[in-house]
Amino acid sequence: MHQNLSVTQPIVTVRNLSVMRGEYLAVDNVSFELLPGTHTAIIGPNGAGKSTLIKSILGLLEARAGEISLFNCTGKQSKRFKQEIGYIPQKFSFERTFPLTVSELVGLGLNSKQWWYSSKQKREKIYQALEQVHLTKQAQQKIGTLSGGELKRVLLAYCLVVPRRLLVLDEALAGVDATGEMEFAALLHNLKQEQNWTILEVSHDLDLVSKYCDSVICMNRRLLNQGLPSTTLTPENLLHIYGSLVSPTCHHHEPSQLPESF
Amino acid sequence: MQRAVLGGVLLGILGGILGSFLILRRLSLFGDTVGHSAMLGVVLAALLELPATWTLIGFTVAFGLGVIYLIDRTDLGSDTVLCVSLSGSIALGTIGFSYLKGYRGNLLSILFGDILAISNTDLILLLLLLAVTLVWLIISLPEQILLTLNSDLALVKGIPVRGHRYFFIVLLAITIALTIRAVGILLVNGFLVIPAASARLICQQFVPFLATAAGMGALSGVMGMIVSGAIDLPSGPSIVLVQLFGFLAVVLWCRQS
Repeated sequence: MHQNLSVTQPIVTVRNLSVMRGEYLAVDNVSFELLPGTHTAIIGPNGAGKSTLIKSILGLLEARAGEISLFNCTGKQSKRFKQEIGYIPQKFSFERTFPLTVSELVGLGLNSKQWWYSSKQKREKIYQALEQVHLTKQAQQKIGTLSGGELKRVLLAYCLVVPRRLLVLDEALAGVDATGEMEFAALLHNLKQEQNWTILEVSHDLDLVSKYCDSVICMNRRLLNQGLPSTTLTPENLLHIYGSLVSPTCHHHEPSQLPESF
Repeated sequence: MQRAVLGGVLLGILGGILGSFLILRRLSLFGDTVGHSAMLGVVLAALLELPATWTLIGFTVAFGLGVIYLIDRTDLGSDTVLCVSLSGSIALGTIGFSYLKGYRGNLLSILFGDILAISNTDLILLLLLLAVTLVWLIISLPEQILLTLNSDLALVKGIPVRGHRYFFIVLLAITIALTIRAVGILLVNGFLVIPAASARLICQQFVPFLATAAGMGALSGVMGMIVSGAIDLPSGPSIVLVQLFGFLAVVLWCRQS
């Protein structure tokens, strides 16, 4: 199943992509590549087409024009790699009484065969994933009782329960408290460093973007800028993107200097 | 009588299982809409002199798929599309009835059904339907849970969401067609919604939720038939009343605990 890609072969290639939302051109002629083991952030103001772009990459929205290649495959061929993609959506709404526990939700991340594993084997995998997001105590809690931040961490555990090669996050840190935010970001960093996961995230947190990401894509329907955080998150660029003065806190230390708990 | 009890149990199990997904997918009104549309199916069967059971099954399946197609293809909310379809089908069904000469006496049996009139063919169909439903669940339960919870996560995982949804609608429409013969158009949705709603209040996990809904559906089938026989009440409404009392008991129990 695993198709070995060379280190320099992109995991995701987007070429001249345009996507409509109704009558509105939400993404206009965007092109970029994601290399394996990199962490890329998409930034831009509200309504810039960031979520539309990642939904199109994931096959949730049809492109009007352009091409998307995942794991060096296009169209239906790329569908066979679906199990290797993790996704945390921006909105995750469900009825509070939905009869599902945290461990059941994480278990849904397993593939169908693994889902029918003997319960011990399955429990171990789920426990390990929950341990990584510090939610083992909530394993038997109903998902409707979780806070927004806890739910995001459960969704991350859902992605962690099997090895992935690409993790796509749409404002995954919205609703997560300050400590959780740092832990979440550090965990993503570990996945990238130790397991060579490629991470693509939509984010409004320029501090974390400047601290943890290797590359930044700035867009407002069109691609405005792409490059290293140090070259893209400049006051001039941010003024151009957001239309007002925004500046991330500078992080001079290396990303590998993580909190002790990690 | 034995056929009726067995029929009630099978319908209860099917209603409990499929109703669980129905309420979690926020399609509770769907059962009502397809159930009421069956009036049009019965009229068509009578006008065209076709076998009632098979025509009803074919009609409810086609109507159910049509409604879901409309929900998928319009930007309207599902409740709006369901209300439009419900009104349209009742209007057509009522007009159709006016063209039927000497047939109107059957209107009551369509509205309220007769579980005692369940035939061996109906039982065989119910058993087959239950077998298909259980196989469908065993093969695809994790996929069904995921697409019920969040269809985007399911799509990203490569689950054929549309195919699963349409197959679910086919199973549901056939169940509705067979339930109508037992409890009628007006009460069909009770079989689907009430046991699942009760189970949802007391269960934390998904598989126990499905099992509880199916168990409550089956138990209310037996209890309803006993009540119906003991105090000479119509059987279909008796089953639904037992389901209702079960639901109220669960609500009270939940409030106390």
